[in-house]
Amino acid sequence: MSPILAISGLSKQFGGVTALAGVDLAIEEGEILGVVGPNGSGKTTLFNVVTGVHRPSGGSVLFRGQDITGLKPHAISRAGIGYTFQQAMAFAGLGVLENVQIAGEHVRARADSTANPWPTPQALLDFVGLSAVANEKAGVLPFGSLRLLGLALALATRPSLLLLDEPAAGLNDRETTALVGLVRQLPGHGITVCVIDHDMKLMQMLCRRLAVLDFGSKIADGPTEAVLADPKVLEVYLGGDL
Amino acid sequence: MRAVDIFIQQILNGLSIASVITLIAIGVTLIFGLTGIINFAHGEFLMIGGIVTWLAVSAGLGFPLAVVLAILAVGLMGYILERGLFRFTLERPTNGFIVSLGLIVVLQHVVVLFWNPNQKSIPRPLTTVWEVGGVRIASVRVMVIAITIAVVALSFRMITASRYGRALRASVEDRDTAALMGIPVRRYITGVFVLGSALAGLGGALLIALFPITPFTGGTMVMKGFAVALIGGLGNIYGAVAAGLILGIVEGFSAGYGFSQWTDAYSFALMILVLIVRPHGLFGGTSGPRMAS
Amino acid sequence: MKEGLRQDRAGSVFKALRSLLPVLVILALIAAVPLFSPSNRFLSLAISAGINVIALYGLSVLFGQTGILSMGHAALVGVGAYAAAILARDFGVGFWAALPAAALASAVFAMIVGIPSLRVGGHHFVIMTFAFGQLLAIVLTNGGDYTGAATGLDLAGPVTLFGADMSDLTRYYLMVVAFVTSAAVASWAIINSSYGRTLRAIRENEKLAASLGINVGRHKIGAFVVSGIFAGISGVLLAYFLGHISPSQFSSFPSIYLALMVMIGGARLIEGPLAGGILVAFLPEVLNLDPVQSRIVYGVCLIAVIMLLPDGLIGGIVRALRAAFSGKPKQETQQRGAAEAQR
Repeated sequence: MSPILAISGLSKQFGGVTALAGVDLAIEEGEILGVVGPNGSGKTTLFNVVTGVHRPSGGSVLFRGQDITGLKPHAISRAGIGYTFQQAMAFAGLGVLENVQIAGEHVRARADSTANPWPTPQALLDFVGLSAVANEKAGVLPFGSLRLLGLALALATRPSLLLLDEPAAGLNDRETTALVGLVRQLPGHGITVCVIDHDMKLMQMLCRRLAVLDFGSKIADGPTEAVLADPKVLEVYLGGDL
Repeated sequence: MRAVDIFIQQILNGLSIASVITLIAIGVTLIFGLTGIINFAHGEFLMIGGIVTWLAVSAGLGFPLAVVLAILAVGLMGYILERGLFRFTLERPTNGFIVSLGLIVVLQHVVVLFWNPNQKSIPRPLTTVWEVGGVRIASVRVMVIAITIAVVALSFRMITASRYGRALRASVEDRDTAALMGIPVRRYITGVFVLGSALAGLGGALLIALFPITPFTGGTMVMKGFAVALIGGLGNIYGAVAAGLILGIVEGFSAGYGFSQWTDAYSFALMILVLIVRPHGLFGGTSGPRMAS
Repeated sequence: MKEGLRQDRAGSVFKALRSLLPVLVILALIAAVPLFSPSNRFLSLAISAGINVIALYGLSVLFGQTGILSMGHAALVGVGAYAAAILARDFGVGFWAALPAAALASAVFAMIVGIPSLRVGGHHFVIMTFAFGQLLAIVLTNGGDYTGAATGLDLAGPVTLFGADMSDLTRYYLMVVAFVTSAAVASWAIINSSYGRTLRAIRENEKLAASLGINVGRHKIGAFVVSGIFAGISGVLLAYFLGHISPSQFSSFPSIYLALMVMIGGARLIEGPLAGGILVAFLPEVLNLDPVQSRIVYGVCLIAVIMLLPDGLIGGIVRALRAAFSGKPKQETQQRGAAEAQR
């Protein structure tokens, strides 16, 4: 089966600095893939290039065989790739329900939508456990709830692939566990997930497969246990999170 | 007069206009570029400088003393307004901009209220006109150009070479880090604002030495100041001087060769064009300090 | 569950309608004013205020909903006014045909200004709109006979509706009230539609909005164009009311006053533009101020509103009233308590 997202030879230079040096990565339909690497390894650049925030200097990104390289952020989202940010999670000045309503209004229906109607904004709030605060302003929510609202927003765009950039940053253990529980359910609803983070504990909970970036190149890719035992990876993380 | 004489004449006229524009533009480029405050009332600061000069000269004081008074008065006004108003808008520049629009209306009409809306002028502080070849050089224009050159050189040294200037640029790069390094960022912002205001006061004094002014003179002047600051690149004094020269000379020529009704259009048209093609200005600059938005 | 959802939806429609009600009541009262045989001076002032309010409703969509400030808005009004005058002079086009034509002209001008200005983006945008406004005034002044140069253009066409001459002051007043009502309803409809939600999303966070599939650039230009339509209609009404227009009416300083009015009233509330337009027009009459004094008062008001009441005067009053009477804060704590309990 061909991968849902095929990244090949993707590179990005900022001035003279190489942030991505020809990365190849395939995300398979239905998996939860983790992309890890220390700070400055190119994780966030990879995320930004795939989601259209930056234009790549070279290489290509194919989504279900379709070339989406260099598309604008809103076009990426409309093509069926949802994504969440570390920072901007929700529209603080608007109501919680209104947030999710907005998120569902600008994307085309998925091909399988007739057989399998997408959950309503209300149902999405139920899913992430925020329906009790549906009429509050998003800005008054505690940080953990904001993260969950961010997830609901991304889900409302009816993605078949969801990219999460450090989804658990700033969450306590209880909140992280809740989030992991939610993300694990997503493949069952036909959503492939790619998590970008440096938190190995989270990755071990979530992913069966890991790809490791260092200095803008992929240095390992495979089943989580094998990758974690890889001496190259251990060297990168020596004295780090492991 | 020979064509070449007229040409040189226009360059001189252009240079003196360029001087006043450059003084405003440096104020704008420093304040907007380094502190992020968008003060559209900067033109009114200039106008107040002119009015103070006019009042002082009318009261019988000499022009040099009047200039000093104008600089001090407008500098003080800048201090009060920064401490009282703009300081609270640093995180929301659009609010600061709106406040400055309110200030425009208030300052203009306070002047009208006390000193009527008519044109005001002072006798030329220097009346000598030199004749070199066929070219007539008014000494007052030379004075304006010379003062501007001196002041620009001084400000440039202050910003680029002094310890103060280095700290200032550090705080533009990253306000929080600069604050952590013990740089009193807020005090520096006040300092820049007062410096820019004082330059506007000087500009007003020099302007009224050249032309009559009205309480509404600030409006077009501030647009030229912003145009020059943006064309030159925000926070870039070199750029402001270069762009001010270009604009002043273009205006001088177009007035001298019979297109005077379009002079005000050049700055706007040029600014719009530059911002579209090169958003960071012709000579490069900051894009304004990073702002919370 | 489904039942509850439907009730919810009906509830939100009801809530939206209720937010329109105060404005409609106020406008109905305003429409009844001619019964008390007001002076001509009052009517003229009210007509000018109403014409401004129409443009302000457009500005409130742009600034209040989308969060974009235009400092060249009077220029868009001017395009509408000049379009009406030139159409009448050169093509014999009357008032009613001029309305859509002028709205289109202003919308196109808004697009021409908007595309490069929004490309520049951020805080430079306001400066760009200001510069375009100034530029338009200069172009109109130098337009020779075509634009009437600095003296401007005369417009002496009658305004008729179903055969009745509307040029009479009272009738023109009622017509303007009708236009203001349409503008208020149109702006209310935008605020409560999914389009309004989209604009608010852009106001709150452009990056997040784009990640949800919203074409931010196109919608920002769209909001600018929508505000241009309101401005164009306001320009036609102004040109036919005054019978004479000139460039200085549409330069940057009238733009500042428009921004001031929307700010004083509060840009996010449906009552805001109406309140701002009326306050700024009638305050000098009430306080018996001469034009110079009243402008100083406006300027001080604008600064005070921005520093102290960021939601505008009406927004501030509404909030204070809510806090004082309806016990809204208590309700909020109850809700939060319930949310906590659920967890």
